[in-house]
Amino acid sequence: MTAIEVTDAFTNTAPRAVAVARRHTGLALALLAPSLVFLVLFTYWPIVQVALDALTLTTFGSKAVTYGFGNFARLFDDAAFAHAVTNNLIYAVGTVVPSIALALALALGLEEATGLATTIRTVVFFPVLIPLVAAAALFLFVFLPGIGLLDHHLAKLGAPRTNWLGDPDVALFSLIGLTVWKNAAYYMLFFLAGLQAIPADLYEAARIEGASAVQRFRRVTLPLLGPTFAFVVVIALVNVVTQVDHVVVLTKGGPSDSTNLVLFYIYQQAHENFDAGKAAAATVVSLTALAALSVLSLRTLERAVHYET
Amino acid sequence: MRPLSKVALATAFALSLGLGSAEAATEIEMFFPVPVEGKLAKEMQNLMERFNAAHPDIKAKAVYTGSYDETNLKTHAAIKAGRPPAAVIMSANFVLEYQIGDEIEALDPLVQADGETSDGFMNRFWPALHGNARFAGKIWAVPFHNSTPLLYYNTDHFKEVGLDPANPPKTWAEWSDAAKKLTKRDGDKTVRWGLMLPSNYDYLGWIMTALDMSNGGQYYNTEYGGEVYYDQPSMRGALTFVDNLIHRDKVMPEGVTDGKVVSTAFFAGEASMVSLSTGSLSFIRENMKQGNAVAFVPANIRNGRAIGGASLLMPKGLTAEQKKASWTLINWLTSPEISGHWSRFTGYFAPNKAAYDLPEMKTFLAENPDAKVAVDQLAYARSWFATYSTVAVRKALEDEVQAVLSGKKKPLEALKAAQAKAEEIMAPYVAATAMNLPK
Amino acid sequence: MAASRSPRRPEPARLLGIAFLATVALVWSTPLAWMIVASFRPQSFGGLDMASLVPNFTPTLANWREALDSADFARLYLNTVIVCLGILMVQLVTITLAGWAFARLEFRGRTVLFYAFLLQLMLVPPILIVPNLVTITRLGLYDTLTAVMAPYFASAFGVFLMRQTFRTIPRDYEEAAVMEGAAWWQVVARVLVPLARPGLVAFSIVSVVAHWNEFLWPLMVVSSTENQTLTIGLASFTRGAESASQWGVIAAGTFLVAATLLSALALFPRQFVNSFPFFGVK
Repeated sequence: MTAIEVTDAFTNTAPRAVAVARRHTGLALALLAPSLVFLVLFTYWPIVQVALDALTLTTFGSKAVTYGFGNFARLFDDAAFAHAVTNNLIYAVGTVVPSIALALALALGLEEATGLATTIRTVVFFPVLIPLVAAAALFLFVFLPGIGLLDHHLAKLGAPRTNWLGDPDVALFSLIGLTVWKNAAYYMLFFLAGLQAIPADLYEAARIEGASAVQRFRRVTLPLLGPTFAFVVVIALVNVVTQVDHVVVLTKGGPSDSTNLVLFYIYQQAHENFDAGKAAAATVVSLTALAALSVLSLRTLERAVHYET
Repeated sequence: MRPLSKVALATAFALSLGLGSAEAATEIEMFFPVPVEGKLAKEMQNLMERFNAAHPDIKAKAVYTGSYDETNLKTHAAIKAGRPPAAVIMSANFVLEYQIGDEIEALDPLVQADGETSDGFMNRFWPALHGNARFAGKIWAVPFHNSTPLLYYNTDHFKEVGLDPANPPKTWAEWSDAAKKLTKRDGDKTVRWGLMLPSNYDYLGWIMTALDMSNGGQYYNTEYGGEVYYDQPSMRGALTFVDNLIHRDKVMPEGVTDGKVVSTAFFAGEASMVSLSTGSLSFIRENMKQGNAVAFVPANIRNGRAIGGASLLMPKGLTAEQKKASWTLINWLTSPEISGHWSRFTGYFAPNKAAYDLPEMKTFLAENPDAKVAVDQLAYARSWFATYSTVAVRKALEDEVQAVLSGKKKPLEALKAAQAKAEEIMAPYVAATAMNLPK
Repeated sequence: MAASRSPRRPEPARLLGIAFLATVALVWSTPLAWMIVASFRPQSFGGLDMASLVPNFTPTLANWREALDSADFARLYLNTVIVCLGILMVQLVTITLAGWAFARLEFRGRTVLFYAFLLQLMLVPPILIVPNLVTITRLGLYDTLTAVMAPYFASAFGVFLMRQTFRTIPRDYEEAAVMEGAAWWQVVARVLVPLARPGLVAFSIVSVVAHWNEFLWPLMVVSSTENQTLTIGLASFTRGAESASQWGVIAAGTFLVAATLLSALALFPRQFVNSFPFFGVK
């Protein structure tokens, strides 16, 4: 990404470049306009609106409106919000690390395009295509204590009955398990592509130098997969923050808020408690976190996603 | 006025655009939720066709609005926009919030215009349903379909351990004894639970209300929406009873048990006794192969439990014609014939007492003695928990009770925390009402 | 990597690898296998073997009948198709235009604008549900399929992808076309779009999969039954608050919702598998 040519497609003559750049500003804006209209309506304007709502204060029984940081104070005082943030962090680490490790292992194992590898790829890819709500509906039964899919078959191995969704120490990890099942193969595909792009002669050279398989993996494969890692981590983190369908269907954030994630908390404040101020404040906080994440990752991302010209 | 979310407002604008103009026949819309999807929604459309055929001057349309909670959200929104539906079938414990928000019509003038007294009108319905419909001196809602928690038990298991299926437990002592006998262990593994109670959000609040009321408690101030009694002895006793069943007697599984897990376990014979809603009655009766029966939820101090279900309410902001048409619809839907028909179709009991005097209802009850138990239990039923910000105040208790069920907290500390949290949520309302004193 | 290039691993390690893959494949497919078996299983409420993966000797269609009876699946399918294709059509236009502008034109504020676009990559619509609902309502779109689609008409991901794709296309092609007197839009339409087809196809598949499976936004923005999509219809199956669970019916309903994409994958595994990583991790 560092050395992008920005020469013009139609005029290669340097002296005219400035004039051309000006002329193209109009065209460029015209071409960007369709996207910009929708971005303004559904991304930029909402951000402004949420910020305003977060600063608007109302009191029960009075029509008076004041402005200030009261909603944020109430938000940070709310143990449930702190709980949701903590849960979201655990959920982030708990889903991203195993998903990516598994995805990489699968990619390495299924790299060769044999018939069996293709079949296994297809099988592990099924969950990616199932709506998260549908997956959650299935997992309602998978997690049923005692008679569900998991317990029924684990019992044959002598495992005790587990209250997968009803034990506050376990429930979040059950959701993590579901998420890993759902997403691992998606990330696997990126690693497969990344592996295919590593030139074979690099391995050859390493082998000639007498590097073992493990050494070749550590010195050639891993470094060259760096951009892929960056890309997959970003996608996985976005999923962590923006997907709560399974919480809605499976636990509603319980038991005792142990599976409440930030987006579901926002949903609860807005639609169950009719607390628009707190919902807006929580949205602003998560937007800030996401924006920070974006800034950190954009450069990595751009480096990761590039094509050779 | 309660702060209302932007979403509600947004939805309201939207709804206001979708309504057609008045024609010769008065057009009205009714919002209705269906807690059980599918067939019930279709049956409601059938009812609307019957109603419209019988009332050529009215064109009523039933709009399916999702779950109880979604219906609540969409109704709030429509009222704010000034284009409300003419009638809504609303979860009975949300009615109070509409009255607090001054969003619904008092129905007394309409009752009196029909030449009936308010007392006379309410007396058509079971006494247990009055609290959630008539309060603050006026009638705000008409009960449509209702439920109570019941004790479902597996009669095969009862016989197997030497309990008499014809004589189910009536007191907490008998209940706990039966649960101990019915629990089956294999080493330290439990292969059959004596008892299971649903403890997911919403269901748990209802079950705790039932246990508290069976223990002489009130749960909340039926006259004022700013008070709950979470840390009182009646509730402490109820929660300690449950805690003991789980952690001392080990006859109930630890942690939170979803209502679906409870019903599935009962079907599978993995739980011998469960407490579930009347709403599950038809389904269990029709599908369970093992012997099963229902009884009252056992009592400690007295028989008592809360009702559940939904009532019809009429939002403010209707034209005179719409009001009249809406009142005709509400009366028709709660008439003995329709009430009884809906009851037999769904398993909920019919709020209108006269429904049970009709011959088809008598035949039905004779054939289904379990449905009769549900009706008999009504004599001991009380109002459903309703306060300012009902859902949040209920969740304050549920979160703490769930901590006890999971062995994280002891009953007393949990209930004190729940009380404090609930009071914090209700504080704005209390400040504007009971604590709003002459300066 | 081709098999010939692959170093022959020592036997025990290889066996371990195969065992690992087999385990993962088994674990991954079990819930789906159960879904299929259970959807054909007679409703046997008495037993503890509901989790069994062995198909029944007397399969039944009762669950399917009941699932189909519980919701208007034809309508749900139609709505979902309209939503997915509607989003895609608009997206293809917006991302091609914007992608080309960012790839080939030089103009003031390009970098700033590009980063402003990329912001949407993170600030995805689910986070902004509350204000977006207000906007949708002001536009008079509440409870319409357009409302389900509108927030997705612009796609930062798509713009980004198209920019990168256009850059891989050598300029010679365009220059040749320009020599022949073609206008810029003719160049885009006749030269660049055909060459960028793999990128467009890949984006299309990812977009359709994402919106086919979307839940929270349609749940909030649609209220009448006529406008519901598949995922909303399915959620109502699993919600019955006061009813006992019918796992066979839930399994059949889930299958009905997932079936289309699953069969597409089964029929065209290569297109799917190749499309996703097209986002071009090199």
